[in-house]
Amino acid sequence: MSRQTSSFSAEFNEINQEIVLSGRMRPRSVQEIASVINMVRRSLAESGSTAYVNVKRLTHMNMTAFRCLAEVLKSACEQKPQRMIVVVTSSVIAWSAPLFQTLASTQPNLSVEIYDSAFYPGQTFVEDESFIPILRTQTKMTWRHEREILPRHGLRDGLTIADICCGIGDFATLIKRQFNPTRLVALDHSKKSLEYARRVAAEFGLNSIEYTYGDASQMLLADNQFDFVTCRHSLQIFDRPDVLLRELYRICKPGGRVYITNEKNSHCLGEPHSETIRWTYEQVAKLFSHFDMDVEMGPKSRRLLNDAGFDAIKVESFMVTNLDGDPQDFADVIEAWETVYAGQMAVRRGDTPDFIRRFRQGFKDHVLAALHPKGYAGWPIWAASGRKPY
Amino acid sequence: MIMTGQHISAKPGALKNMAALALDVGLFISEFRLCDTIAEYLADLLAQSHEDPARCANFSSLLINEIIELAFRSAIPVGRIDFNLLRNEALVRASVAFSYDRNNRAAWSSFDRSADSSGQHPAHHLMMLAQAIGVSLDIEIDGDDRVTLIADFLPREAVR
Ligand SMILES: C[S@@+](CC[C@H](N)C(=O)[O-])C[C@H]1O[C@@H](n2cnc3c(N)ncnc32)[C@H](O)[C@@H]1O
Repeated sequence: MSRQTSSFSAEFNEINQEIVLSGRMRPRSVQEIASVINMVRRSLAESGSTAYVNVKRLTHMNMTAFRCLAEVLKSACEQKPQRMIVVVTSSVIAWSAPLFQTLASTQPNLSVEIYDSAFYPGQTFVEDESFIPILRTQTKMTWRHEREILPRHGLRDGLTIADICCGIGDFATLIKRQFNPTRLVALDHSKKSLEYARRVAAEFGLNSIEYTYGDASQMLLADNQFDFVTCRHSLQIFDRPDVLLRELYRICKPGGRVYITNEKNSHCLGEPHSETIRWTYEQVAKLFSHFDMDVEMGPKSRRLLNDAGFDAIKVESFMVTNLDGDPQDFADVIEAWETVYAGQMAVRRGDTPDFIRRFRQGFKDHVLAALHPKGYAGWPIWAASGRKPY
Repeated sequence: MIMTGQHISAKPGALKNMAALALDVGLFISEFRLCDTIAEYLADLLAQSHEDPARCANFSSLLINEIIELAFRSAIPVGRIDFNLLRNEALVRASVAFSYDRNNRAAWSSFDRSADSSGQHPAHHLMMLAQAIGVSLDIEIDGDDRVTLIADFLPREAVR
């Protein structure tokens, strides 16, 4: 286990008036963190009517660091009594809010907020409960392919595995049964999905999967822990996939592999009605990009893995189709997409009823193609992996 | 490093040994990074049977690290420092025992659970931290100028 006692960063964003502290802050002495503390002091001195101190990703801290930071915050509060300082904490880190709350109780112009949304722009859609049935059927359909694909990317029996952004955990359950890992950690930031995951695992008598509530962009998992790290259909929903990949890289052992899957939504297809279907999925890609999510990421996997420092990169694509299993499963997934994409996201974007009607039509045609006795419907996915160099 | 894990009692509710680690104090205080390493190690073990081990370990390691850092600053380089984890159904207890400088006996002995507001006690900040995060902390002093710092974690309550 290699973890540095102090590997942290501090940044000041003038536009948001936000100081962001992240990482591990366990210095032996105050001198070790003097530059960060000075930066916090300077930034607070320059800030306007409200300043934010974001500690959502400050995962470790000792009292040497806390007391020093507390002094700076206190004197900043006293110097400008009209200015509010808001300390922004995350519920992932259970000690954070109670500890910073001790400051708030002595300073009237300092408050502590627990703020978990806005990891990325589309979070509210994705953490919604209505996503659970979609994820479930999607995994059922992709597993037929992935159980064959995964061994080509290095997955085998007896490895230590982490599934990051695990959703409702059914992929983890399948992995557990098929590949019998020695350790399996599954992390997500939706408490509802995790609750569901724990229930399903318990029903199957699988009690050794470690489900953990966490933020994939700053995980509480130590460096170099896992032989195989998976992150499926999730990089594409972050506006900063590079930040996530850096974390996946960090927890992976040297010589281990990180496996990602992503879509290219505009390449969803169907017959009959290929034109309306194509138009709708092109719009899906634009809609997601409006919310800073890139559901066209699939073919970019090679570049992303390469830029993140991986080697021995492998990329393959596969098409989930209505002919793989029960066509009704395919149809169910598309109907669920329609509900979220047309029913919620397009509405949130402020699209006109005309647009939404046309947008919905492509999904309906895709369902028809899936269920039509001579029809064909497809959903393409890119599976890619890279090795963390020794 | 000595690691043991045998059960010491079968009485229901009684604390059972989970792990014990003993280090030569001279070695321990030669390297500050050991505080973090040992804290993480003990917190990982403590959290093992929690529903969410990663978060529970993160929570526990905050206080355990502080206890160990206090030992790092206070221990005299004589004999050994003992780290122990014990558990029963309700709680996990982490304790660290070491010898302090006898010139500080008065300060260490001044621990008064009911009203420690002087700020003079060597464990003052540690106690503040324990209180802030809702973990009970105890300090036992024996006649040989050896102190044991004891934290009782109720992980299920602290980390949901
Ligand atoms: C599109 S789903 C994919 C779920 C799963 N991998 C699958 O294929 O079924 C994206 C998942 O990422 C999770 N997520 C979003 N933001 C996260 C974050 N910051 N940290 C961890 N998980 C996050 C969501 O809760 C959701 O379960």
